[in-house]
Amino acid sequence: MKAIVDCNSFYCSCERVFRPDLWNKPVVVLSNNDGCIISRSDEASKLGVGMAVPYFQSRHIIEKNAVSVFSSNYHLYGDMSWRVMETLRMLMGDREKVEVYSVDEAFLDLDDIPASQLSNYAQFIKNTVEQWTGISVSIGVAPTKTLAKMANRIAKKDKKASGCITILATDETLHAALRQTRVDDLWGVGRAYAVKLINWGITSAWELSHMTEEWAHTNMGGVVGVRLIRELRGQSAIVMEEELVDKRMIATTRMFGRPVTAVHELKEAVATYISRAAEKLRRQQSAAGVVSVFIVPKEGNHEANFRHGPGVSRYTTLPRPTALTQELIKPAVQLVEQLYENGRTYKKAGVMLSGLVPDDSIQGNLFVPYTANQNRFLMDTIDNINFSMRDDSVKFGAAGMKKDWKMRQELRSGRHSTRWGELKEVK
Amino acid sequence: MELEQFFGMKDKGTKRFTQWDVPTANATGFGAAADDYMERGIDLNEQLVRNKPATFFMRVSGDAMIGAGIFNGDVVIVDRSVKAANGKVVIATLNGEMLIRRLEKAFNKIRLVPETSRLSPIDVDLSGSEFSIWGVVTYVIHSL
Repeated sequence: MKAIVDCNSFYCSCERVFRPDLWNKPVVVLSNNDGCIISRSDEASKLGVGMAVPYFQSRHIIEKNAVSVFSSNYHLYGDMSWRVMETLRMLMGDREKVEVYSVDEAFLDLDDIPASQLSNYAQFIKNTVEQWTGISVSIGVAPTKTLAKMANRIAKKDKKASGCITILATDETLHAALRQTRVDDLWGVGRAYAVKLINWGITSAWELSHMTEEWAHTNMGGVVGVRLIRELRGQSAIVMEEELVDKRMIATTRMFGRPVTAVHELKEAVATYISRAAEKLRRQQSAAGVVSVFIVPKEGNHEANFRHGPGVSRYTTLPRPTALTQELIKPAVQLVEQLYENGRTYKKAGVMLSGLVPDDSIQGNLFVPYTANQNRFLMDTIDNINFSMRDDSVKFGAAGMKKDWKMRQELRSGRHSTRWGELKEVK
Repeated sequence: MELEQFFGMKDKGTKRFTQWDVPTANATGFGAAADDYMERGIDLNEQLVRNKPATFFMRVSGDAMIGAGIFNGDVVIVDRSVKAANGKVVIATLNGEMLIRRLEKAFNKIRLVPETSRLSPIDVDLSGSEFSIWGVVTYVIHSL
């Protein structure tokens, strides 16, 4: 059996751990730059606050009902996510039985748990995660990952009735669940396929599970479709994946806090993003061969404030792959110069590092001059200082000192679990 | 609980080290005998944090617990996985506030007791108030 553990309104739950005055109260969390609503508590959904809609569209509901609003606090969410996942790993006893699927979801491999204990075990996991971390979770248990996802959807739909746990271990419960689930709510069925399926008259997961594998192979994207059909029938076809697969591409993108017109500010921003991306690059011990930069101008007229103009991007292939910040900043800044148009206003920029290969300067290479490794020591030193002191204590001059283009986070809560200076106060 | 025995955890601490983290004297001559007595230095994380994912730090504001040696501005280590037994110093939530107090449990009565004469104990009305134990205080860090 497989299980998926999914945190309830994760970002809102993180905010509420330290705010008992907001338990059972409506809460929303805004995206970067306070643009959209990206998480809402059940109380906020009930008031009619939309998900993933611009903040201003729900503003009247929010103000009328005194909904608490937070800017996203990714330091806090990242730490709370680690706590939830670490608790699961400790409970499972075997790290390989936990697959972290996203910041707030993990698959568990429950093949060793006797069927009679599944219900107790799911309850035990739910209670322990809540007790230890303060984050409430929903759990779906079923023979395959796809069915576990489906079970979890059912658990979340009526939390009171399910107690946030749905177990589909018998044929009767499985069949009933398949009948009540629409194909477009299935994990792994994208919007395009959902439309196709519904046009063909296949609307429920139950109907889909009765199609043949040959049919799925021709009509649902080959092997992927066959896997889906097998999973729906209870044959495990999507295996547990190992954690920490190195990324093949590293991107850093941010909106600006205010419109940016000067080329030097754009360069600073891009250099800052490169520094961040290069840090991630070194953390996975890779070097990048290609640097891409994109900048997004604002549309000409002022009423289109919330729409993007067409973005422009360019890339450079480096003479040899590198993990050194200074070697990556240089081509990136040149790209900004090429992309920048005088007189335009920009609202967003991003960088991407690709063509990733293992970084051979780590082992030290007999054929590479010693200076390359000296640079590597410099990078390690900078990374170590920034890791222990936080907030980019050491940075390259190209990244700027003032950074007043940085994104707005006006309603951010304290970073209670990661910063000594921002601990929660108790009386 | 029986279940806990059944599914007991293997990893009970926060130790993350290998034998290579043990320093050696690295002496080339006769100093080598000291190598036999080398061990890892003391790690405060290991001593003070028993269950990392369940442990939080909080700053105390006020004099409620000075009798217990917890002063204004001190940092307390709070473990949410420790059972809140009678007599423990706890972080309690009462009607939306977070309080640090000593917990007194007797029959079905709960009292939050400060360690100063300037505040009085709170008799928790379990039916008419929103009350919970947030975590148990395990250590206090006081700067001299």
